[in-house]
This record gives sequence, C-alpha cells and structure tokens, in this order.
Amino acid sequence: MRTLDWIVLFTSLISIIAYGLYRSRGSNTVDRYLLAGKSMPWYAMALSIMATQASAVTFISTTGQSYVDGMRFVQFYFGLPLAMIAICATAVPIFHHAKVYTAYEYLENRFDAKTRALASLIFLAQRGLSAGITIYAPAIVLSAIMGWPERTTTMLMGITVVTYTVAGGIKAVTWSDVQQMCIIFVGLLVALITVFVLLPPNVSMRDAVFLAGAAGRLNAVTTHFDWNDQFTIWSGLLGGTFLFLSYFGCDQSQVQRYLTGKSIAESRLSLLFNAVAKIPMQFFILFIGAMVFVFYLFVQPPLLFQRAELARIESSAAFQPVAGDYQRAFENRRASALALTAAHRAGNRAEEARQQSLYRAAQHEMDMARSRAASLVQSYGGPKDFRDTNYIFLTFVTRYLPVGIVGLVIAVIFAATMSASSGEINSLATVTIVDLYRRHVRRNRSDHHYLAASRWATLFWGAYAVAFAGWGNRLGPLIVAVNKVGSLFYGSLLGCFVLAFGFRRVGGTAAFMGMLAGEAAIFAAFAFTGISWLWYNVIGCVVVLAVALAITYLLPGRASATGSTLQSQ
Amino acid sequence: MAGPRDVPDDPPPFLGTWRRVYFAVVIYLATIITVFYLFTRAYR
Repeated sequence: MRTLDWIVLFTSLISIIAYGLYRSRGSNTVDRYLLAGKSMPWYAMALSIMATQASAVTFISTTGQSYVDGMRFVQFYFGLPLAMIAICATAVPIFHHAKVYTAYEYLENRFDAKTRALASLIFLAQRGLSAGITIYAPAIVLSAIMGWPERTTTMLMGITVVTYTVAGGIKAVTWSDVQQMCIIFVGLLVALITVFVLLPPNVSMRDAVFLAGAAGRLNAVTTHFDWNDQFTIWSGLLGGTFLFLSYFGCDQSQVQRYLTGKSIAESRLSLLFNAVAKIPMQFFILFIGAMVFVFYLFVQPPLLFQRAELARIESSAAFQPVAGDYQRAFENRRASALALTAAHRAGNRAEEARQQSLYRAAQHEMDMARSRAASLVQSYGGPKDFRDTNYIFLTFVTRYLPVGIVGLVIAVIFAATMSASSGEINSLATVTIVDLYRRHVRRNRSDHHYLAASRWATLFWGAYAVAFAGWGNRLGPLIVAVNKVGSLFYGSLLGCFVLAFGFRRVGGTAAFMGMLAGEAAIFAAFAFTGISWLWYNVIGCVVVLAVALAITYLLPGRASATGSTLQSQ
Repeated sequence: MAGPRDVPDDPPPFLGTWRRVYFAVVIYLATIITVFYLFTRAYR
C-alpha cells in the first residue's frame, strides 16, 4: 500500500460512514432506529440486502474458491430466485400486516410466547456466530497487508463497527450499503479489466477464457448427484432454496431490511431485484477468480499465499524439494498453456489434446506441491487443516493492481464488511430487546428506555462477535463457514415459519416440540454423518414439519391454533 | 413503545399482477441455468 492507496482507503471509508450517519439523522425513536420508520424505497433495501451478502467474504473467499475449485459455487445461488418468490408471496405481506418489529414477534401472534422465545434464541446463537466470521474477514486483509496479528485487527474492526452501529441505526446501515454497492460494482469491474490488462500480450481474452476452461475453472454447472458434494445443480436448487428461504424468510438480519419498506410492493421489489441480480453478480465474481488463475499461469504464484505460514516452513530442510517441484511444475504448466493455446488457435485437435493432457498434469503437480507445503505447515506447528484460499485474491490485489486501485479494492472490502457486520449486530440487538427484553424482562417502559437498551444490546453483541471472530481461521473458506454456521440453525427456524404460514391446525406446543426435534436432527446429521451442510436446512425443516404434524394429529388436544396464516389472509 | 405502522399493498409497477412477475422470474432462472450449462459445456 502506497500513500495514494491509503488516501483512497480512508477517504472512501470516512465518506461512507459520514454519508450513512447523515442519512440516519432523526433516528431518535425505536421505530426509526430499528425500522427506519418504514420509509425506505425499494432500491435502497435491494442494494442493502445485496450488500449484506456481498461482504468482504464475497471478495476474499469466493474468488479464492474459484481459483482452486472453479466456478461451480455459483450453483449454490440457483435456489435464490425460487426462495425470493416464495417469500414475496408469503412472508412479506404477513409480516407487514402483522405490524411486527421482528419475524419472531409474529410467532407469538401465531403460536405462543415459548415458540417465539425459542426461535429468537436460535437466531441469536447462529447470527452471533456468523457476525464473528464477518468481522474476521477484514482482519485477514489487515493481517496480510500490514502484518498485524489477526486478533488485534479483529478487535480494531469490531470496535469500529460497534461504534458505527450504535450511533447510526438501520437507516445508517442501509444508506451506507447503497453507497458501498456502487463502489463494489466499480471495484469489481476495475479488478476484472486489470486482470485482462496484466495478461501477456500474446494471450487474448478469448485465450484466457479457453485456458480457464481447460483447467476446469469454468465449471459453472455440474449435473451429477452426490449427497456429500456441496455444489451441484441439485444441491443448489433444492438445498439452496431451503437455505435462502430460511435466510430471507426467518433471519432477522434480512427480514428487518425489507420490513423498513414504505409499502409491501417496495419490499417485494427489493427481494426480486436480488432474485434477478444475485446470480450474475456471483458469476462475475467467480469469473474474476478464474481469470486470476489464468494470470498466475504466466506469473509464478507463491507456493502458499499466506506469507506468515510460508515463512514458517522456508527454513526447513523439506521446503527446498517442494519449492523446486512447484517451480518446475509451474514452468511446465506455462509452456503447455502457451502450446495449448497455439494448438487451439491452429485447430490442431491432436496436438490440443496432447497439450491439454500435459497442462492438466502440470496443474496436478502444482496442486500436489501446494498440498505437501500445507502438510509441512501443519508439521511445523501451523494450524491444523491449513488452507490459504482466503489469501489468494488479496495477494493478487496487493502485488499487481496499480496504485490507487489497491486502496479502492481494500476500501470496498472494509466498507462492505463493516456494513454487513453492522446489519447483523443491529438485528441481534433488535431481537434481544424486542423479543426477549421487552417481552420477558422489562415490559411497558418508555420508548426512550428501549432505545437506550437497543444501543446497549448492540454493544454487547459486538463484543460477542469479536470474541467468536478468533475462531474464524479454523472453519475453512470463509464463505462456506458463514453458511455452515447458519445451516446448523436455519432448518428448524424455516420449519417453524412454514408451520405458521401454511398449517392452521398446528399449535404452539407442536411447533415448539418440532423445532427442538429439528435442531436435534441437524446436530445429529452434523456429528454422525458426512452429509453436506447444504442439506441440513432440508433435514431440519422436514423434521420440524413431521414432528409438529404428528403431535397435532396424534395429540389433537394440544393443537390449538391462533393468528393469521396464508389461508386466513 | 408503539408498534410499526401498517403499509399499503400495491400492484407491481410492471406486468400487471405479482403472479406474472413471479412467473417471469422463474423463466429468467431457467434461462440463466441453461446459459451457464452451455457455457460449461463450451469450455469444458
């Protein structure tokens, strides 16, 4: 980072925070602080919802995932449009008409207080953990660039985010997100253009795409079925639909955003915008990762992208043979990549097939060398199950992007993370105050009292998130870690809301028991099977429905239903 | 602490009904999956 980068970084951050706070003035009641007085237009909610997902995790981890595994992660989002349609048709009008602050408040109207409390506690547990991972992501950035310890940077980011969230409320969060998404779009475009510019002069854009495909990095759709494979078209369409139904329909961090809409139509439009725009955006980000892979076909990538861990093993006797093999494999890969491109251009099929075989063999040797280096890291006291996926894109940005652009990209990563994290902390505080504190601890106090309590709750959840952030590096690629944590809890929440919206005869006790059973089933699947986490939502939801319906029909005396469902709307 | 206010339920600004908008989104999803599938096959 040079002086210009630092200027760009700090100017961007200060302007984003200042703009958010400026737009949030007047947030002096609980309604305005938590729901922006239901005044937000659809485009602000849409970009805010998108920004929450497109946090630093999106840049850091998704691009790295594409570099090592190709683009098949995009299938994870195939269920998103279907989930958005279902939520627009059900949850959006029901929540708005119920005039609630939180999704779980509705559960008491429909079922009873204990079901609301259980759903609130499940949300607090999972979102609190995810908020920690969100804060951990920019700590990696600071650690990679400045060499600061991740724990120190986690604390620094956490304190900044908490301060900003306490002061701003949801209006600040939303309007900051709008500005950040504009910067993110610009940053993405600049990053992709820069990758193409940095390719050798004899490698065209078309060649780059061909080489990425030949290395299996453009595998956007995989049609085989495997319960243990996280990213196939089937897990995306079915598992992804359930995950996004849970995320956008039952997770307060998202529900709170579309509850700020000034009409039901505005809320629906904000979700449908994401249904249409999210998949192409994710494809674009993954494509950047694939092009970074092509860039490194011609410029030798480091053996390990995490410099601190590379330094740990460089002095060892076993390092030199691994590094030598890696360099030879790289040179072979570069030569075969150029020969493959030439054969492809010439239309020489036989030579193309031969070079493709050499190209893939060299790639395999490089992967093996990296794997041996990772094992060395572990044997020399490094982290178990060491992965450097999260460092790939950052290494590229800091080493090869031009002055000023580096600062812009880092600013995007910082700002997006701060926004995503502040939204999470804001929703955690909302549920704590509205669903637990106001309902069970201090009832019928003044608006000013609950506003102050909301700020204190925000402070508490910020501290909790920072404490959990220390665990982030043990959970694998960040983007997966965020969803893994969510999937442990989302399925049972989704099942409860499906019961609430669609099954009038089901009462509070049946729903409560169903949620407990659903959560037990998810943890059993996690602990005792190798089933991919994407299916946990399906399992949890199905178990909740099965148990609640069984109790309802086998013990009909316990099944008293109240409140509004789809049928009664 | 008062509850939030109720909000109106307006029709969509295009295609007339929400049902048609949802159908358009499903068509869009099918199209984009097909395009990605063809993209994958083309560069496999």
